[in-house]
This record gives sequence, structure tokens and C-alpha cells, in this order.
Amino acid sequence: MQVYEAPLRDMRFVIHELHNDDGFGNIAALEEFTPDLVDAVLEEAAKVAQEVLLPINRSGDVEGCTLENGVVRTPSGFKEAYTMFREGGWCALASDPEWGGQGLPEVVNKMTEEMICSANLAFSLYPGLTHGATTAIEGYANEDLKRFYLPKMVSGEWSGTMCLTESHCGTDLGMLRTKAVPQDDGSYKLTGSKIFISAGEHDLAENIIHLVLARMPDAPAGVKGISLFLVPKYVPKDDGTPGPSNGVSVAAIEHKMGLKASATCQLNFDGSTGWLVGRENKGMEAMFTMMNTERVSVGIQGLGVGEAAYQSAVWYAKDRLQGRSLSGVKNPNGPADPIIVHPDVRRMLMTMRAYNEGCRALSAWVSRALDAEKHAADPEVKQRATDFVALMTPVVKALFTDLGHESAHLAVQVYGGHGYIAESGVEQFARDARIAMIYEGTNGIQALDLVGRKLPAHMGRYLRSFFHPVSQFIEAHKADAQFKPMIEALEKAFGALQLSTGTIAQKGMKDPEEAAAAATDYLRLLGLVGMAFCFAKSALIARDQLAGGTGEAAFYKAKLATAQFYFDRILPQATTAFLAIKAGKASMMALEDAAF
Amino acid sequence: MSQSIQKVCVIGAGTMGAGIAAQVANAGVPVLLLDIVPKDGTNRNAVAEGAVAKMLKTEPAPFMSKAAAKLVETGNIEDDLDKVAGCDWVIEAVIERLDIKQSLYARLEAVKRDGTAVSSNTSTIPLAQLVEGRSDAFKRDFLITHFFNPPRYMRLLEIVTGPDTDVGVAAKVEQFADVAMGKTVVHASDTPGFIANRIGTYWIQLGLNAAFDLGLTVEQADAIAGKPMGVPKTGIFGLVDLVGIDLMPHLQASLTSTLPKDDPYQAIARTHPLIEKMIRDGYTGRKGKGGFYRLNKEQGRRKETIDLASGEYRETIRASAPSGPAGKGNLRALVEAKGQTGAYAWAVLGGTLAYAAALVPSAAADVVAIDDAMKLGYNWKAGPFEMIDTLGAAWLAARLEAEGQPVPEILKIAGDRTFYRVEDGKRQFLGLDGEYHDIVRPHGVLRLADIKLASKPLLRNASAALWDIGEGVVALEFTGKMNALDGEVMKLIVEAIPLVAAKYKALVVYNDADNFSVGANLGLALFALNIAAYSEIEKLVAGGQMAYKGLKYAPFPVVGAPAGMAVGGGCEILLHCDAIQAHAELYTGLVECGVGLIPGWGGNGELLDRWQKNKFLPKGPMPAVAKVFETVSTASVSRSAAQAKEMLFLRADDAITMNRDRLLYDAREKALALVDGYTAPEPPTFRLPGESGRVGLGMAAEGFHKQGKATDYDMVVSDALANVLSGGEADLVETVSEQELLKLERETFMRLVREPRSIARVEHMLETGKPLRN
Repeated sequence: MQVYEAPLRDMRFVIHELHNDDGFGNIAALEEFTPDLVDAVLEEAAKVAQEVLLPINRSGDVEGCTLENGVVRTPSGFKEAYTMFREGGWCALASDPEWGGQGLPEVVNKMTEEMICSANLAFSLYPGLTHGATTAIEGYANEDLKRFYLPKMVSGEWSGTMCLTESHCGTDLGMLRTKAVPQDDGSYKLTGSKIFISAGEHDLAENIIHLVLARMPDAPAGVKGISLFLVPKYVPKDDGTPGPSNGVSVAAIEHKMGLKASATCQLNFDGSTGWLVGRENKGMEAMFTMMNTERVSVGIQGLGVGEAAYQSAVWYAKDRLQGRSLSGVKNPNGPADPIIVHPDVRRMLMTMRAYNEGCRALSAWVSRALDAEKHAADPEVKQRATDFVALMTPVVKALFTDLGHESAHLAVQVYGGHGYIAESGVEQFARDARIAMIYEGTNGIQALDLVGRKLPAHMGRYLRSFFHPVSQFIEAHKADAQFKPMIEALEKAFGALQLSTGTIAQKGMKDPEEAAAAATDYLRLLGLVGMAFCFAKSALIARDQLAGGTGEAAFYKAKLATAQFYFDRILPQATTAFLAIKAGKASMMALEDAAF
Repeated sequence: MSQSIQKVCVIGAGTMGAGIAAQVANAGVPVLLLDIVPKDGTNRNAVAEGAVAKMLKTEPAPFMSKAAAKLVETGNIEDDLDKVAGCDWVIEAVIERLDIKQSLYARLEAVKRDGTAVSSNTSTIPLAQLVEGRSDAFKRDFLITHFFNPPRYMRLLEIVTGPDTDVGVAAKVEQFADVAMGKTVVHASDTPGFIANRIGTYWIQLGLNAAFDLGLTVEQADAIAGKPMGVPKTGIFGLVDLVGIDLMPHLQASLTSTLPKDDPYQAIARTHPLIEKMIRDGYTGRKGKGGFYRLNKEQGRRKETIDLASGEYRETIRASAPSGPAGKGNLRALVEAKGQTGAYAWAVLGGTLAYAAALVPSAAADVVAIDDAMKLGYNWKAGPFEMIDTLGAAWLAARLEAEGQPVPEILKIAGDRTFYRVEDGKRQFLGLDGEYHDIVRPHGVLRLADIKLASKPLLRNASAALWDIGEGVVALEFTGKMNALDGEVMKLIVEAIPLVAAKYKALVVYNDADNFSVGANLGLALFALNIAAYSEIEKLVAGGQMAYKGLKYAPFPVVGAPAGMAVGGGCEILLHCDAIQAHAELYTGLVECGVGLIPGWGGNGELLDRWQKNKFLPKGPMPAVAKVFETVSTASVSRSAAQAKEMLFLRADDAITMNRDRLLYDAREKALALVDGYTAPEPPTFRLPGESGRVGLGMAAEGFHKQGKATDYDMVVSDALANVLSGGEADLVETVSEQELLKLERETFMRLVREPRSIARVEHMLETGKPLRN
């Protein structure tokens, strides 16, 4: 059964307790968002997630979207839910107040996203893509376009899409073919076909604003000849109401492994009117702004599904009676003990729990940096925050979605045979979570971004924003008698990360393939160390709180235990990653193509 | 005639004459600088004196030291011409007018000794005309010595002898110009423009013409005929701005009037109305109101460029280098590039190479002379024939033929072959006879490049190599980017020591590069710092200290042979050598403070030891400490080897080589001279002032801080330096051992290196090439 109760206590912990000294300082511009206000917003978001979105998650999966006569219909209840969501102001949560947004800190926004994704991942895409599109318009479009489109998109009355992929090109966008022909009035006529367009067509909003990558007639070949265009489904009239149809049609909706309530469309543009966003042939630049924002959000999707999977597995492990505990009967009045008594079931539950708490702690750290990047007054802090976001974006995207996917499968495993049956609801998590490892740049691409772009940039400057805090933490707490083994384990994993970083930088300079061969393991290693750092910090806080007797002993005891489990059972993966990196590319690349 | 040159007279104290006189003085030879008596004023030597005074303020400095400036005696040609009798060489560098030169020679003939060489620095007038009307004796002593501006820094000297020039006189001048003045002599025929300017002017003219004809912007043209072509990045328009746009019509007039009517230059010598207008309006280049480029001070020092079509200045639009291999030194890709890039590159380079190829043997005896002239006179990375080799002589001939242009004879001779080849480890060039000939170096010239062609290294890793350079001496060569020093260099040093001790007599630290070493590999260090790999940094520091001390106490002499920049760790290795044979152009210093660090490879102790042993300093521990503190905290760098001596980076008995080509040979000689009875030095002990000394140095630094000359962070860095130099906790009664000082140096360095503001300095230096004043 799909069970979800927002982990508000842990969210408050990572926001207020864990990261209040992360070096980004207090951000004056966000002072109005007091802890009380933040907590109140999170509580309201939890209600929406639990009461509005969760109930239509499984039904939406069963029913899916339908295409009839060119019209896409979302599953029952989605339209009502979306209207409620929009009217509650949830679409505009993190957007700029200038365009009608509420300007909430990212750290709140990302927690809200997590809740929405836990409750209903498919639903999250509709407001999520709109938010990505508004980011690009805000950053690159001219004032007229902004004034005309942003207010309605921010409020959620109109939704947005990102139209990148074509049937023959996904990762390698340089090959795309959609044409944009300039018109005398300064607009363009776009013609071409796009596939895999999430929320490309649906019945939730009165207009859909597509951001489309296309090529102008004389544009240079490759990615240097791609421009970004705003193409509305209906060209709005001057009064802002949707006008005539703009030649954007749905050829089909994709039949997918999961995420069935999200309409993934094939769109045809047939002389559709569009306007240039940003500079000619600089579409990739605007694209990447949008993409980077989205990548962090996709990471949050992984975390969201992971949390829902964990809670659903816990519910089942307590409910399902099978066998007896090896340490003696725990449920003498029943025919058997609940399966939660079994070590191997515990292993799975603790693994999921540790992944979720570790990722949530990291996500709050990155969100703090996102806020500092946007609002910090000190240019040095701003720069450090920007560096940190750049470094951690691929880590958040790939690590969180990998772990979320793993958690979903662990949940299926906890359910045993029932987990494989659709009615259990947990196989949906496994199917839904799968796409997050692929879209917005596959996790392999994320790893390449990390080792190829982020690691060598400015002689390793981005790395500093991560390595220095971790190094300083280790040095500051080395002498801590109680946590000596934990800090030593962190130091060892950190040393492996330092060594691997140096190796990749050196080898990669001579042979880029070496860096590429190490990429996925390196991303995992960095993520593992990042989570270990967060857990060690958390453990120290928990100990102090317990010593102070705050009355929340259960929470802090659990935090300590989860941290210990992470160090005992998860962090050893760092050694695996380290050894794999050290081995280099040789055996990976040894076989001739024909031998496969 | 074998008597050497002891005194020189330069007549004409313009930029060239004065600069030549300064370079003679730089060689330690007295020089008489004469010019005319000014029409007004009471000081009859005002012109020559003014020239010397001006040079003392000129940057880059014509003089290598203040002592050199004192060797220049000034005078005028009315009162002092008879002093020529006491000179062994008279260099005439007066205005380019035949009548004036001829009348000066007539007067010279009356006062000079027989055998005193007279040479003209003319760049345009044929020798035959210059000596018209002179006696046979004068003609025997006469030749042309064509220096390039600025004479201290440009290595090329073109020598032209006439049919009557005495071989001994010419040899005497050549020997002096080579060994004492450090010039590389290229023999040219008595043809207009000699070699470098003949080809250079042609190249410039083609570049201007083609930019106008093809409709390129100035920036686009310079982005093509600059770095991608292997010529200085100023490009052609930038170069013309530098030398003076108004010089162009003079050069053109001179060459068109003296070159044969069928010379290809006649066909391309065009005037461009825009350029004529610029000269009329005073836009003559950097010395005038601006040139093709200018800084518009009314627009907040906005960089502007003239639009070749409209003649109006507009904001400079940086042109990017050609993409792909064409922008990365592949000449063939460059001239075959699509569109304007290829068209321009071919018009300029194809034409120039064809022209240069046609000048053998009329202007120069062989291809080597042409290539040397262009490399040393115009700072081209490769000479015309070296460039033809990379394009392919046959390919060039075919393209010229296809375009209906004449194919120079020498290209036909080359056929499918190259102009240079390496045979049995020897570099050879193709002669007009169709045969290859060894390139013979003059006696006293030893090139590591030649040795490397003919042998394998004794040791080699990613950043250094060890070569047998003959006579039982080995050379340690740095090979990393910019000769930066890293753990690999230190590793090789440690490996080299037992090898040299067992099998060789001495070691020379030398490389062929323009710059000896820019010090530690900061990029590597910064990366390590960014990932908080402090133990790696400490390993590097300790490893460098150990390697350098290993060299110092090795059982064989070690001679440093630096040229160009030798800063930071590059300076520290020199401080550990038994002796130095330095190129005169040595820019050395301990510059670590500039990047927020302090010397970490033993430089502090070595420089301190030298100052402590300096007998001109007052007694007590403080004066030496204060001297080193002053030098290092301000990151002072010598502007010449002579100045390095004043700063004690070189010892008084360290030697200076003027000619870069002779440096390795001289260093080997220096090393061999030390072999007999060599014993390694005794480790010094230091008497240091301790805490009170540190406070004293801090007060001195605070003075600069208050004046705004030192930043807040300079104070932190200089305090770390003061901590080391004063011996940390040292007490006056105690002596500090070399090892203790090294430990203090290392610990202090490691403390500093973790400071965010030091990291910011290192990062800024690497990203911008400029120090950060935080």
C-alpha cells in the first residue's frame, strides 16, 4: 500500500539544525522567512501532498493519459488537484515576486518538491516543467515576453514545456533539425517534430508555452547554431486571453514504463509562430540555465520516490506476519512475527532510510547554496555558492535518482511476491523512479559533467567549496573521543576521494577516456563522502541534543543509529568506488567492438 | 689586426645609436657617445647627455646596471671627434642621409687609426655608396652593422661587408658583437633592406594590402597573421603601430628606389589613402595620437580600432583565432582554411614565403641566414624555410604554379625534400647545390637542442631530463610547461645525484627555453589546495628542500646556467648551486610573497647566508635579516644578471654570458674549472634575532602598510616571512642550524598555504597572470 507522511521533523532538522553553519551565512534578503514561517509552509505542503496528491497517485498510474482527436486528457482527479494546487499558490512558491511569485527560499521549495514527488511523481512534472520554463524566460527573454508570459506561467494558469529531443537526437542536440524562419515582424515560424515532451499537451491549463530549440536557416552546424524560441499553443490576444491555435499538434502520447499520469507527447510544429529567447545561436546557453535548475529538481524526484518507497515498505514490514524472530518470539499473540524483526528486512529498511536521510541532508546543503547564489550580499560567498551548486548539481541529479531507484526496488523486495503485483502500489515506485536516472541528461552524462567540466574548472576551484568544509570538519573533530571511529572512517573515505580526484585530474589531462571511465564511480564516491559528512555532523548534533535533554530523544536517537548504520553499512561502498577508479579504463575498453 | 676591441665610439645619439652604446657598456666596455652640438644652449654635449639621461628612465631599460651607464662618455662631434683615435670600433648611427654620412666619414678618416673599424648602422643605403670617395685604407676598415631596435633586447645583427673590407677587421667586429654584445651575426649581401627588413617590409605590405582588399577588420587580420602564423601576437597592424606608421612611406620609398624594377616588391608597394590620412593627422601609432589601435581616454580608456573602410574609430572587437588546427599552429590548415581566414593567410604567408625563397643566394648565402634573420629580427617562431618545411616545399611550389606565379629556384631544387633534416643526429640544411650540409655552430656555441638530436637522455620523466653534454658534464633540463617545477623534477634530481657522482665530473642546470623556470607548478599546487590535499603539498615542499640540498652537498660541482626568468623555485635552485654562469638577461628573484606564500625550498636560508657573509654589512644578526626581508617581502626581481649580483642572487664571482647561444658552453667550462679539488660546502649556521627581530621587521612593514604600499594581507605574509628569517623562537645566543631553519620554513609555508587569501592570490595569478593585491 502506498503510504506517505511527510518527514517534517527530519526536514526541520536539516534546515534549521544541520546547515545553519555551512559557511553561506545568514542571507539578509531571506530574513522575513523565519523558522516559524518555514515550518508552517512545510506543514501546509505536507497536507497538500498527503491529502490531495497521494490519493490520485495509483489511480493515475492505472488510468494513464489518453489522446483522443488531438486532445490529451489527464487521469481522473488531476484537473481538480491541479486547480487546487494552483489556487493554493503552490505553483508560484519559489518564483520571483516581480512576476507574482512568493519568493520563498529554495531550501523550503526543494523540501516542498520532495513532498510532492513522494506523493505523486507524475503530477510533479506539470508544475515542475512550468517552473523550469519560467526560469529560462526570466533569464533570457526580452522584457515584452517576460511581461506578457511570466505572470500567467508563474501563477500556473499557463503551463510550460521544454522541447529539446527529436527522434534522432537526445544527448547530442547539435544534430537537431527543427527550423525557425525569421519573419518581417521579428517573430519566427517554427517547423519540425519533437518527441518525449513532458506535459507537451494536457487539460490542466488554458494555454501551454513551449520553449523550443531550433535552428535558423543560416545557423552554423552543431550546437553553436541552435537558438531557443518561445512558442505558445495558442497565440495570446493582446488582452492576454488565449487566441488562435498556433499549429502545434500532438502526434501521439508515448507509452511508457511508468510515470503514466504524465503526458509525454510527440509534438509537431507546423509553421508555428515563435519568438527568440536570448541571443541568436545561443540557445544552448539558455537551455543549460533551465536544465541546471531542473537537474537538481530531478534529483529531488529520486529522493521523493525513495522516501515514499521507504514508508510504504515500513508499513508493510510491520503489517506482514511471517516467521519468527531469531532472537525469540516478538508477537506471541499472533500466528507469526511482523517481518520487521528479521535482520535482512531491517537491512533493506535501514538502507532506504539512510539513503533518504543522507540525500535530504545533502539537498538542504545544495538548496542553501542556491539561496546564497541568488541572494548573498558578499561576492565571495556568492561565488562559493555558485561553485558549490555547479559542482553538486550532477551529484544531486545522479546520486539521488540512483539511490531513489534502488530504494524503490528494495521496497518491492520487502513486499516479496506482493510487491510484484500492481495492487501493492510499490512496483509503481520502481517504474516511476526509473526515468529520473535518464531524463535531463542521463546519469552517465551527469558523471561526465562532473569529471570533465566541474572537476578541472579553474584548477579545481569548484571542488574547494566541498573539500574545504569537509577537511575542516575532520580536523576540528578528530580529537572527539566518542566519535573517533566515525571521523576516522570519514577521513579515510575523504582521503580516497582526494586521491581519486588527483588521479582523475592527472590521467584525464593526458587521456580523457580515463576520466570518462572513472566518472560514474567518482560521482558515487563524492556523493558517499558528502552524505558521510552530513551524517557525521548530524551525529554530533544529535549527541549534543541528547546530552542537553531536549525532549525529542526518539528523533535524535534514531538519527544517531541511522548515522552509525550509514558508516557501518553504506560508506564502505566508497572503497569499492575507489578501487574501481584506481583500476583505470584498461579492462573496460579491452574488447574489440566485434567481441561484444 | 688581432688586437681586440677595448673601446668603442658611437656617433649619433638617437634611439638606435644610444641603445647600441648602452649595449656596449653593458658588456663592460667603455664607449664614447657623440652627437651634434645643439644650435642653442650652452651645453655642447646636451644631445648625447640627454640621450643617456633619457635611457636611464626608459622601460624596458637599455642599461643592465647603473655601473654600465657610467661607462658611457658623452661628447660632440665638433670637440671630441679626435677621441676616436683611442677607439677600436666606430659605429655610425646618424640620420639616413647619404651626404651627411659621407661627410662624417671624411672627417673620421682624418682622425681614426688604421685598423679601427668603422661601421654604419644604415638600414637602407648600399655600402658601395657609403664609401664613395674614401681611401682604400678606409674601405678596408669599413662595413655595415645593422642592429635592431631595441639593441639590448633584439639579438639579430646583420653584417654586410664590401669587396674591399678587410677580413680581419670584419672578424674583429663580429667577434666583439657576438661575444661581448651578445648578438647573433647573420651575414647579408649588400642588397637593399638586407635580409630581415627586406622580407619583413614585404610581409607587412602584403598584410596591409590584403586586409584592405579582402575587407577584413584590423582585429581579424591580426588574429590571423599573428599567433596562428607563428609570429608575435601583435600581428601586422599592431606591429606597424609599434614601429610607427609614418616610417612606412620612408621604407617604401627607399626600397622602391633601390630595388630592381622587376623585384616583386615594386608590384605590391601601394599607398593606402587611409594610412596617408592617418599620418597627416598625426595618427602615427603608439608614439603619436594612436594608430590602427588606440586607447580613447575621453571614453574611459576605451580600446578602439580604426575601421579600414570608413576611417572612423570604433570600439575594439576582439577577433577570435581561427578554429581548429588552423588556429593552433598548423600552417597548412591555416592557408587552406575556408573563407577570409584562408584567403588572408595565403595572401600574406604564401607571398612572403615565395619572396623569401627567391632571396637565396642574392640577399643571403643560405636558407639558415634567412631563417635566423627572421627569427631574431622579427621574433618569428620559425623562419621562412622552416615554415615552408611544415607546408611542404613541393606543395608550395605546386600552389604557386597553379596560381601562375613564378616558382623560386630553390623550391625547384628542394623538390619533394625539406630544407632541414636530421642525419646521424646532426641538423643539416639544403644548399643551392642540392646537397645537405651540416649546420656548423661557431666555436664556443653549444646547443642542448643539438645534443638532444644526437643522443638519448640519461634520465627522463614528465618534468625533467638529464643529458650528457660532453667533457664529463651532464645537464639537468626542466621540460614541463613554462619549465614549472614539481615533484617529478625533484625526483629526477634525487636520482641524478648518485649517477653523476659515480660516472661524471659535474652538473649544469640549463635549458634552451626563453625562461629558465617560472618556479613551482602553481596550477598543480592550487589543485591540491582546492581539494585540501595538504599532505601532498607538504611532501612537495619537503621533497624540494631535500633535492636542492642534495645538489648543494653533492660531491661534484653544480653550475646554474639561467637565462630569462628564474623566479621562485627557479631562483632557489640557483641559490643552491656552487656557481652560476648566467645569461646577461636574467630576471631572477624570490617572488613567492606575490602569491601569498614564502620561499619553501630553502631559499630563505641560502639568501640569508649570503647576506650574513657579506662584508659590507654591519655586524650583528639583524642587518642581513633585514636585507633578505626587504628583497623577499617585496618580491623583487632583477632586471639583468648584473643587477642580480647587486641583490646577491648571484655571487660576485659568478659569471655572465652575453650571447645566449654561448651560455651552455660557458657553463660547462665554468663547471670543469671547479672539478679539480672540489669539496662540497660546509652547512652554514645562522645567528638570528628571534622574536625581537620579527617585531622589528613587522614595524618596518607597518610603515609601508600605513603609506598604502602594503595591503592587509601583505602584512600577514610578510609576518610569516619575518617569522622564518628571524628564526622563530630563536634566541640570540643560540645558533640555528640549516636543518632547523628548513623545518621552520616548511612549517610556516604550510600554515600560510591554507589561508584563503593566499589561495585567492595563487588563483588570481594563474587566471589572469597578474598578482592580486588583497
